[in-house]
Amino acid sequence: MSNEKKMSRRDLLKLAAAGSTGLVMSGLPVRVIAQDSVTIKVQTAGLDDNTLQPVADIMVARHPNVNVEWVVLTGIDHEEVAAKILALVAAGESIDVGYAATEACQLFAGQGLAAPLDDLVTGDPDQDFWTDFFSDVHPSLVEAMMYEGSLYEPPRDFNAANMYFNTNVLAENGFDVPGPEWTKDDFVEIARGTTKKDDAGNTEAFGYAWTNRLWGSWMPWIFVAGGNLYTEERAPGGDWVWDGYYDGDAAADGRGGGFRWREPIANSPEVVEALQLNVDLWQEGVTPDIEMGSGQTLTGFYSTGLLCMTPAGGFWAGRLGNEGMEKGEFDVQYWPNWRNQKHQFGTGGHWLATVAAAPDEAWEFMKIEVSHEGFQSSQFFNPVIITTPSRRSYSQANAFESTGPANSDVFYGTLDDHPSTSPIPAPPWSNPMTTIFTTGTSNAMSGAMSPKDALDQMQQELEDLTARQPQYYGDD
Amino acid sequence: MTTAKGAEVGGGGILHWLLQDTMDGMRRRRAILGYLFLLPTLLGIFIFTAGPVFVSFGLSLFRWNIFKPPDYVELANYQRLMGDVRIAISFGNTLKFTVLAVATQVSIGLLLAMGVHRITQTAMRYYFRTAFFLPLLMSGAAVAVVMGYIFHKEFGPLNYYLGLMGVQQIPWKTSADWVLITIVIMSAWRNLGFTFVLFLGGLSNISREVLDAADVDGAQGFRRLWSVTIPLLSPQILFAAVTGVIGAVQVFEEPFIMTRGGPGNASRTAVMVLYEAAFKNIEYGYGSAIAVVLFLVILAFTVAQMWMSRRWVFYQ
Repeated sequence: MSNEKKMSRRDLLKLAAAGSTGLVMSGLPVRVIAQDSVTIKVQTAGLDDNTLQPVADIMVARHPNVNVEWVVLTGIDHEEVAAKILALVAAGESIDVGYAATEACQLFAGQGLAAPLDDLVTGDPDQDFWTDFFSDVHPSLVEAMMYEGSLYEPPRDFNAANMYFNTNVLAENGFDVPGPEWTKDDFVEIARGTTKKDDAGNTEAFGYAWTNRLWGSWMPWIFVAGGNLYTEERAPGGDWVWDGYYDGDAAADGRGGGFRWREPIANSPEVVEALQLNVDLWQEGVTPDIEMGSGQTLTGFYSTGLLCMTPAGGFWAGRLGNEGMEKGEFDVQYWPNWRNQKHQFGTGGHWLATVAAAPDEAWEFMKIEVSHEGFQSSQFFNPVIITTPSRRSYSQANAFESTGPANSDVFYGTLDDHPSTSPIPAPPWSNPMTTIFTTGTSNAMSGAMSPKDALDQMQQELEDLTARQPQYYGDD
Repeated sequence: MTTAKGAEVGGGGILHWLLQDTMDGMRRRRAILGYLFLLPTLLGIFIFTAGPVFVSFGLSLFRWNIFKPPDYVELANYQRLMGDVRIAISFGNTLKFTVLAVATQVSIGLLLAMGVHRITQTAMRYYFRTAFFLPLLMSGAAVAVVMGYIFHKEFGPLNYYLGLMGVQQIPWKTSADWVLITIVIMSAWRNLGFTFVLFLGGLSNISREVLDAADVDGAQGFRRLWSVTIPLLSPQILFAAVTGVIGAVQVFEEPFIMTRGGPGNASRTAVMVLYEAAFKNIEYGYGSAIAVVLFLVILAFTVAQMWMSRRWVFYQ
């Protein structure tokens, strides 16, 4: 005979009432999805509306009263998309959920456009969800999405600047893909050895190329040379996430409440040396003229064998396949060691607007996007990887099985094996900072100025810019 | 209250004054009807053109980023503007671009129009008119993207064909010496159709008798062009120059899409720094100050052109 007692309707109501009272008394923010018809406006970049449609479908299947409306903004790079979001908001348009990579995370947080998520995460009754999520995401990505102690975006994707090789070009010139410990000198040897020139001295195939932007670009050389654009500090705070979700994880030791980039150091000897290296390669004809952009042009050169090496992240794996490159025709390796092997990365995700008209539904969408179901359905990661998943379990070798590269373990390994790896400098004033950076870069890379002069000017402009900013960071 | 003519004004008096069955009353009704027709346009101009201009003047005296209340800073934005090297360079670039682009569009537009005007075959005339005007209908952004590939130093088709003729690779977009010329070429190619059609219309309107008289007087070739044709086309040339300058001073999309103002600041224009200040750096006060200065520059150019036109524009 069973001892089970069936719960009566009255008991159920009592339990529900007691539970609700308990939640209210404990101060937990109870998120209730409205039953009325609700539309959430989700800002996406470029073609993300198609790419994220499966996530929206999950949302609508679970909450049929919710309609997801895409607000598509395109731009050549993240700071341009950020500028368009700002213009959109300035024009009185509202969004519930916005997308930002590292480049603009502190920008939106600093302006009060993005809402801190701390209470939403810690107050979520479904703590298993967050325990599982954080256990699957490297703490450096979470820290990069924090500003002054609060989390503003659950990371969805990331890309560290690794070195891509066209393996056909390497083989034609008698080189193998180098090992993980390779150095700057090894790089220069391969870059020179894979450059081909015609009789007139014009380069027909380049050993190395990059585009002028904040991420990628020559920023990885600044990091491995031991420099940065700004001093890098950690804000206090963030214990709720490190103690609450990363307790016992050595990779979380010493982390704080997000980065502070306070003092410009753009003309330090290390940065000058890094730029000089790139100018030298350009003057030798190893590197083509450097242009602005997000690397679309380089993809074409690379896939047609006109280029051997370029900085890129996991996002290139699927895209090179789309350009017609077969598995095995390209590979990847860590950035070469110079004074250190500190890599740079950028991470991306959605933020919740402080002025969201439907914050509960918006938050639900954000959760679904970073859930297992979201990762299993999002076309960012299916059928091929077009940006590196922030969740470790979706960044394993099997995710790159159909496309390559063979060394795909490098992507997450950059975070796991190189603990010094940190985000690109992106303070709340990152937009004008990026303009100054790319302008100074092209001053040197076009021969208009020496690297030292270009960086002295850049330093002065960054100092003036920083001095004009209100106090975005605390005093500690 | 009474008017000079003794009609009562006020209350029912106005109605009576309007509805008077006299010539004066009829004139008044016509005048009011005219103003009523003008009202929507005047309101539109006031709300959507003059209004934002005045607001922009006001905003230029504030520091404002939308998200926080504006701070009144008096003329601080203008003081900063005067010391901003990027502003000086971009206004200088805009000036160079304006001179080169307008001169190119007017001179080549005139040459093409004279060439096509001589063609007697109707089909060929239609063909050339369409061909030269077509680029004007294309999206500036699309043109800039395609031209970006064409002007690519290492892999662009232009340098490839120049290379076959023995010309060294030209860094069209990546050299501070070349980049403005490249943008002028692109802009001229796209905008030539406008001046071309304008001049073609002007040439068609030149009286045959005047040209025949010039022939009889012995004015032929360049002499007839300089002394007869160009003076008779001067109203069109003035119009092309004024609208060309106004458009050129506001150049944005071509350099923005093709070079992002680079290399360095070599192709950064006035509107580009305005855009960057207001929409990228969310400094609306500073952006407004730049807009005000740009407005004054355009006004000065236009006034100067109109003043100088009194010396050389000939209206038949």
